[in-house]
Amino acid sequence: MKAAGLVLMLALAGCAPKRPPAGVQGDPERGKIALTQYACQSCHLVPGVPGSQVYVGRPLVGMAGRKVLAGGLPNDQANLARWIRDPQAIDPETAMPNMGVSERDALDMSAYLLSQ
Amino acid sequence: MLSNRRRLIVKTAVLTLVAAGASAGAAGLALLYGGWYNIGATAQHFPFVYTVLEEGMKYSVRRHAQDIKVPRLGGEQQLRLGAAVYRDKCAQCHGGPGFAQSTIGMSMQPIPGPLIDATQRWEARELYWVTKHGIKMSGMPAWEYHLREDELWAVVAFVTALPAMSARDYRAWTAPDAPQGGAK
Repeated sequence: MKAAGLVLMLALAGCAPKRPPAGVQGDPERGKIALTQYACQSCHLVPGVPGSQVYVGRPLVGMAGRKVLAGGLPNDQANLARWIRDPQAIDPETAMPNMGVSERDALDMSAYLLSQ
Repeated sequence: MLSNRRRLIVKTAVLTLVAAGASAGAAGLALLYGGWYNIGATAQHFPFVYTVLEEGMKYSVRRHAQDIKVPRLGGEQQLRLGAAVYRDKCAQCHGGPGFAQSTIGMSMQPIPGPLIDATQRWEARELYWVTKHGIKMSGMPAWEYHLREDELWAVVAFVTALPAMSARDYRAWTAPDAPQGGAK
Protein backbone atom coordinates (compact mmCIF):
# COMPACT_ATOMS: atom_id res chain seq x y z
CA MET A 1 0.00 0.00 0.00
CA LYS A 2 2.75 2.40 1.00
CA ALA A 3 4.75 1.42 -2.08
CA ALA A 4 1.75 2.12 -4.33
CA GLY A 5 1.36 5.54 -2.73
CA LEU A 6 5.00 6.31 -3.31
CA VAL A 7 4.77 5.24 -6.96
CA LEU A 8 1.68 7.46 -7.40
CA MET A 9 3.46 10.42 -5.84
CA LEU A 10 6.46 9.94 -8.11
CA ALA A 11 4.18 9.65 -11.14
CA LEU A 12 2.39 12.87 -10.20
CA ALA A 13 5.71 14.60 -9.58
CA GLY A 14 6.69 13.64 -13.13
CA CYS A 15 3.66 15.53 -14.47
CA ALA A 16 4.34 18.69 -12.51
CA PRO A 17 6.37 21.42 -14.26
CA LYS A 18 10.07 21.24 -13.60
CA ARG A 19 11.43 23.67 -11.06
CA PRO A 20 13.27 26.61 -12.59
CA PRO A 21 16.96 26.75 -11.72
CA ALA A 22 17.98 28.92 -8.78
CA GLY A 23 17.91 32.65 -9.44
CA VAL A 24 15.27 32.45 -12.19
CA GLN A 25 12.46 34.93 -11.63
CA GLY A 26 8.90 34.93 -12.93
CA ASP A 27 6.11 32.40 -13.25
CA PRO A 28 6.97 29.51 -15.60
CA GLU A 29 3.38 28.20 -15.66
CA ARG A 30 2.06 31.54 -16.84
CA GLY A 31 4.99 31.85 -19.21
CA LYS A 32 4.08 28.59 -20.92
CA ILE A 33 0.66 29.98 -21.85
CA ALA A 34 2.15 33.37 -22.76
CA LEU A 35 4.48 31.63 -25.25
CA THR A 36 1.44 30.33 -27.13
CA GLN A 37 -0.28 33.71 -27.06
CA TYR A 38 2.64 35.38 -28.85
CA ALA A 39 2.76 32.62 -31.48
CA CYS A 40 6.23 31.37 -30.47
CA GLN A 41 5.25 27.81 -31.44
CA SER A 42 4.38 28.91 -34.96
CA CYS A 43 8.14 29.11 -35.75
CA HIS A 44 9.86 27.29 -32.84
CA LEU A 45 9.52 23.82 -31.39
CA VAL A 46 8.69 24.63 -27.76
CA PRO A 47 9.03 21.81 -25.20
CA GLY A 48 5.66 20.95 -23.69
CA VAL A 49 3.68 22.89 -26.32
CA PRO A 50 1.94 20.87 -29.05
CA GLY A 51 2.51 22.14 -32.57
CA SER A 52 3.83 21.40 -36.04
CA GLN A 53 7.39 20.27 -36.80
CA VAL A 54 8.67 23.76 -37.59
CA TYR A 55 12.27 24.83 -37.85
CA VAL A 56 11.85 28.45 -38.96
CA GLY A 57 13.36 29.46 -35.63
CA ARG A 58 15.65 27.31 -33.52
CA PRO A 59 14.05 24.65 -31.32
CA LEU A 60 13.74 26.05 -27.79
CA VAL A 61 14.83 22.89 -26.00
CA GLY A 62 17.57 22.90 -23.39
CA MET A 63 17.68 26.69 -23.12
CA ALA A 64 19.10 26.54 -19.60
CA GLY A 65 22.16 24.69 -20.85
CA ARG A 66 23.13 27.12 -23.61
CA LYS A 67 26.14 29.37 -23.33
CA VAL A 68 25.02 32.03 -25.80
CA LEU A 69 21.81 33.35 -27.34
CA ALA A 70 21.27 34.67 -30.86
CA GLY A 71 24.79 33.79 -31.90
CA GLY A 72 26.74 35.77 -29.31
CA LEU A 73 24.72 37.15 -26.43
CA PRO A 74 25.65 35.58 -23.05
CA ASN A 75 22.77 33.37 -21.97
CA ASP A 76 21.11 34.62 -18.81
CA GLN A 77 17.51 35.39 -17.99
CA ALA A 78 17.83 39.14 -18.46
CA ASN A 79 19.33 38.73 -21.94
CA LEU A 80 16.79 36.08 -22.91
CA ALA A 81 13.93 38.39 -21.91
CA ARG A 82 15.62 41.25 -23.76
CA TRP A 83 15.92 39.13 -26.92
CA ILE A 84 12.27 38.05 -26.67
CA ARG A 85 11.10 41.65 -26.32
CA ASP A 86 13.25 43.33 -28.98
CA PRO A 87 15.35 41.02 -31.15
CA GLN A 88 16.16 43.81 -33.64
CA ALA A 89 17.93 45.76 -30.90
CA ILE A 90 20.39 42.85 -30.64
CA ASP A 91 20.49 41.72 -34.29
CA PRO A 92 18.95 44.20 -36.75
CA GLU A 93 18.87 41.63 -39.55
CA THR A 94 17.26 38.78 -37.64
CA ALA A 95 14.15 37.23 -39.18
CA MET A 96 12.58 36.96 -35.73
CA PRO A 97 10.01 39.74 -35.49
CA ASN A 98 9.35 42.01 -32.54
CA MET A 99 6.14 40.50 -31.18
CA GLY A 100 5.36 43.37 -28.81
CA VAL A 101 5.89 41.24 -25.70
CA SER A 102 5.37 43.02 -22.37
CA GLU A 103 8.10 43.02 -19.73
CA ARG A 104 6.17 40.72 -17.40
CA ASP A 105 5.25 38.27 -20.17
CA ALA A 106 8.87 38.11 -21.38
CA LEU A 107 10.05 37.39 -17.83
CA ASP A 108 7.52 34.58 -17.41
CA MET A 109 8.31 33.16 -20.87
CA SER A 110 12.03 33.15 -20.10
CA ALA A 111 11.29 31.48 -16.76
CA TYR A 112 9.46 28.68 -18.54
CA LEU A 113 12.15 28.21 -21.19
CA LEU A 114 14.92 28.15 -18.59
CA SER A 115 13.09 25.52 -16.51
CA GLN A 116 12.71 23.04 -19.40
CA MET B 1 -31.00 -24.76 -34.34
CA LEU B 2 -28.46 -23.32 -31.96
CA SER B 3 -27.76 -25.15 -28.80
CA ASN B 4 -28.69 -23.45 -25.56
CA ARG B 5 -25.06 -22.79 -24.82
CA ARG B 6 -24.46 -21.16 -28.21
CA ARG B 7 -27.62 -19.09 -27.81
CA LEU B 8 -26.41 -17.83 -24.45
CA ILE B 9 -23.05 -16.82 -25.91
CA VAL B 10 -24.64 -14.92 -28.82
CA LYS B 11 -27.13 -13.25 -26.49
CA THR B 12 -24.36 -12.18 -24.11
CA ALA B 13 -22.21 -10.82 -26.93
CA VAL B 14 -25.08 -8.83 -28.46
CA LEU B 15 -26.22 -7.42 -25.12
CA THR B 16 -22.63 -6.48 -24.22
CA LEU B 17 -22.21 -4.62 -27.52
CA VAL B 18 -25.52 -2.81 -27.08
CA ALA B 19 -24.68 -1.87 -23.49
CA ALA B 20 -21.21 -0.65 -24.49
CA GLY B 21 -22.64 1.38 -27.38
CA ALA B 22 -25.33 2.89 -25.18
CA SER B 23 -22.90 3.87 -22.43
CA ALA B 24 -20.42 5.31 -24.95
CA GLY B 25 -23.25 7.33 -26.47
CA ALA B 26 -24.37 8.51 -23.04
CA ALA B 27 -20.80 9.51 -22.15
CA GLY B 28 -20.50 11.39 -25.44
CA LEU B 29 -23.76 13.25 -24.88
CA ALA B 30 -22.75 14.09 -21.31
CA LEU B 31 -19.45 15.50 -22.57
CA LEU B 32 -21.21 17.46 -25.32
CA TYR B 33 -24.02 18.95 -23.25
CA GLY B 34 -22.14 19.12 -19.97
CA GLY B 35 -19.82 21.74 -21.50
CA TRP B 36 -16.75 20.09 -19.94
CA TYR B 37 -14.68 20.37 -23.08
CA ASN B 38 -12.69 23.61 -22.82
CA ILE B 39 -13.33 25.43 -26.09
CA GLY B 40 -11.04 28.32 -25.05
CA ALA B 41 -8.22 29.10 -27.46
CA THR B 42 -5.69 29.49 -24.64
CA ALA B 43 -6.02 25.75 -23.90
CA GLN B 44 -3.76 23.77 -26.23
CA HIS B 45 -4.76 20.50 -27.88
CA PHE B 46 -3.35 17.24 -26.63
CA PRO B 47 -0.27 16.65 -28.84
CA PHE B 48 -1.89 13.50 -30.26
CA VAL B 49 -5.07 15.37 -31.26
CA TYR B 50 -3.04 18.15 -32.88
CA THR B 51 -0.99 15.68 -34.90
CA VAL B 52 -4.01 13.71 -36.11
CA LEU B 53 -5.84 16.88 -37.20
CA GLU B 54 -2.74 18.19 -38.97
CA GLU B 55 -2.09 14.89 -40.78
CA GLY B 56 -5.71 14.78 -41.91
CA MET B 57 -5.43 18.29 -43.29
CA LYS B 58 -2.21 17.43 -45.13
CA TYR B 59 -3.63 14.41 -46.93
CA SER B 60 -6.89 16.17 -47.74
CA VAL B 61 -5.04 19.08 -49.35
CA ARG B 62 -2.76 16.71 -51.26
CA ARG B 63 -5.67 14.79 -52.75
CA HIS B 64 -7.79 17.80 -53.61
CA ALA B 65 -4.92 19.68 -55.24
CA GLN B 66 -3.50 16.77 -57.25
CA ASP B 67 -4.99 17.74 -60.64
CA ILE B 68 -4.27 21.46 -60.55
CA LYS B 69 -2.07 22.72 -63.39
CA VAL B 70 0.50 25.26 -62.23
CA PRO B 71 1.20 28.17 -64.59
CA ARG B 72 4.65 29.73 -64.92
CA LEU B 73 5.44 31.50 -61.66
CA GLY B 74 7.92 34.13 -60.58
CA GLY B 75 7.92 36.98 -63.09
CA GLU B 76 8.74 40.43 -61.69
CA GLN B 77 5.27 41.78 -62.40
CA GLN B 78 3.62 38.78 -60.79
CA LEU B 79 5.79 38.99 -57.68
CA ARG B 80 4.87 42.66 -57.26
CA LEU B 81 1.20 41.83 -57.38
CA GLY B 82 1.75 38.87 -55.04
CA ALA B 83 3.62 41.06 -52.56
CA ALA B 84 0.71 43.49 -52.43
CA VAL B 85 -1.81 40.69 -51.92
CA TYR B 86 0.38 39.07 -49.27
CA ARG B 87 0.78 42.36 -47.42
CA ASP B 88 -2.97 43.09 -47.50
CA LYS B 89 -4.46 39.62 -46.92
CA CYS B 90 -1.88 37.22 -45.46
CA ALA B 91 0.72 38.98 -43.30
CA GLN B 92 -1.81 39.91 -40.58
CA CYS B 93 -2.04 36.25 -39.54
CA HIS B 94 1.09 34.63 -41.03
CA GLY B 95 3.72 37.36 -40.58
CA GLY B 96 6.78 37.43 -42.82
CA PRO B 97 10.59 37.59 -42.60
CA GLY B 98 11.21 39.97 -39.68
CA PHE B 99 7.55 40.99 -39.75
CA ALA B 100 5.23 40.04 -36.87
CA GLN B 101 1.67 39.00 -37.49
CA SER B 102 -0.94 41.18 -35.78
CA THR B 103 -2.42 40.17 -32.44
CA ILE B 104 -5.32 38.59 -34.36
CA GLY B 105 -2.97 36.01 -35.84
CA MET B 106 -0.81 35.59 -32.74
CA SER B 107 -3.44 34.14 -30.45
CA MET B 108 -5.40 31.95 -32.84
CA GLN B 109 -5.83 28.25 -32.17
CA PRO B 110 -4.53 26.53 -34.24
CA ILE B 111 -1.77 29.04 -34.81
CA PRO B 112 -1.45 30.18 -38.45
CA GLY B 113 1.88 28.74 -39.50
CA PRO B 114 4.73 30.84 -40.85
CA LEU B 115 4.84 30.76 -44.67
CA ILE B 116 8.59 31.32 -44.83
CA ASP B 117 9.01 27.53 -44.88
CA ALA B 118 5.85 26.79 -46.87
CA THR B 119 7.73 25.38 -49.86
CA GLN B 120 9.19 22.67 -47.63
CA ARG B 121 5.67 21.52 -46.75
CA TRP B 122 3.59 22.22 -49.83
CA GLU B 123 3.74 22.12 -53.61
CA ALA B 124 2.68 25.30 -55.45
CA ARG B 125 -0.61 23.69 -56.52
CA GLU B 126 -1.36 22.87 -52.88
CA LEU B 127 -0.64 26.43 -51.75
CA TYR B 128 -3.01 27.59 -54.48
CA TRP B 129 -5.72 25.19 -53.34
CA VAL B 130 -5.40 26.17 -49.66
CA THR B 131 -5.48 29.87 -50.55
CA LYS B 132 -8.48 29.44 -52.81
CA HIS B 133 -10.58 27.15 -50.61
CA GLY B 134 -9.37 27.85 -47.08
CA ILE B 135 -9.18 25.25 -44.30
CA LYS B 136 -12.26 24.36 -42.26
CA MET B 137 -12.13 24.96 -38.50
CA SER B 138 -8.68 26.51 -38.66
CA GLY B 139 -9.46 30.16 -39.29
CA MET B 140 -7.90 30.02 -42.78
CA PRO B 141 -10.38 31.84 -45.01
CA ALA B 142 -11.22 30.89 -48.58
CA TRP B 143 -10.18 33.56 -51.06
CA GLU B 144 -11.89 32.20 -54.17
CA TYR B 145 -14.60 34.87 -54.16
CA HIS B 146 -12.37 37.70 -52.93
CA LEU B 147 -9.25 37.45 -55.08
CA ARG B 148 -8.93 37.14 -58.83
CA GLU B 149 -7.36 34.07 -60.38
CA ASP B 150 -4.18 35.99 -61.27
CA GLU B 151 -4.00 37.35 -57.71
CA LEU B 152 -4.25 33.82 -56.27
CA TRP B 153 -1.35 32.61 -58.41
CA ALA B 154 0.61 35.81 -57.75
CA VAL B 155 0.42 35.32 -53.99
CA VAL B 156 1.46 31.68 -54.41
CA ALA B 157 4.45 32.90 -56.43
CA PHE B 158 5.33 35.39 -53.70
CA VAL B 159 5.07 32.73 -50.98
CA THR B 160 7.40 30.43 -52.92
CA ALA B 161 9.91 33.32 -53.03
CA LEU B 162 9.76 33.88 -49.24
CA PRO B 163 12.37 31.30 -48.13
CA ALA B 164 15.15 33.24 -49.86
CA MET B 165 13.92 36.66 -48.75
CA SER B 166 15.71 38.68 -46.04
CA ALA B 167 13.79 40.89 -43.64
CA ARG B 168 15.06 43.91 -45.56
CA ASP B 169 13.92 42.56 -48.95
CA TYR B 170 10.53 41.69 -47.47
CA ARG B 171 10.12 45.25 -46.21
CA ALA B 172 10.99 46.60 -49.65
CA TRP B 173 8.61 44.28 -51.49
CA THR B 174 5.71 45.04 -49.19
CA ALA B 175 6.31 48.78 -48.67
CA PRO B 176 2.96 50.58 -48.79
CA ASP B 177 4.17 53.25 -51.23
CA ALA B 178 5.83 50.87 -53.71
CA PRO B 179 4.03 50.61 -57.09
CA GLN B 180 1.49 47.84 -56.55
CA GLY B 181 3.34 47.02 -53.34
CA GLY B 182 6.42 45.87 -55.21
CA ALA B 183 10.04 46.84 -54.84
CA LYS B 184 12.68 48.35 -57.06
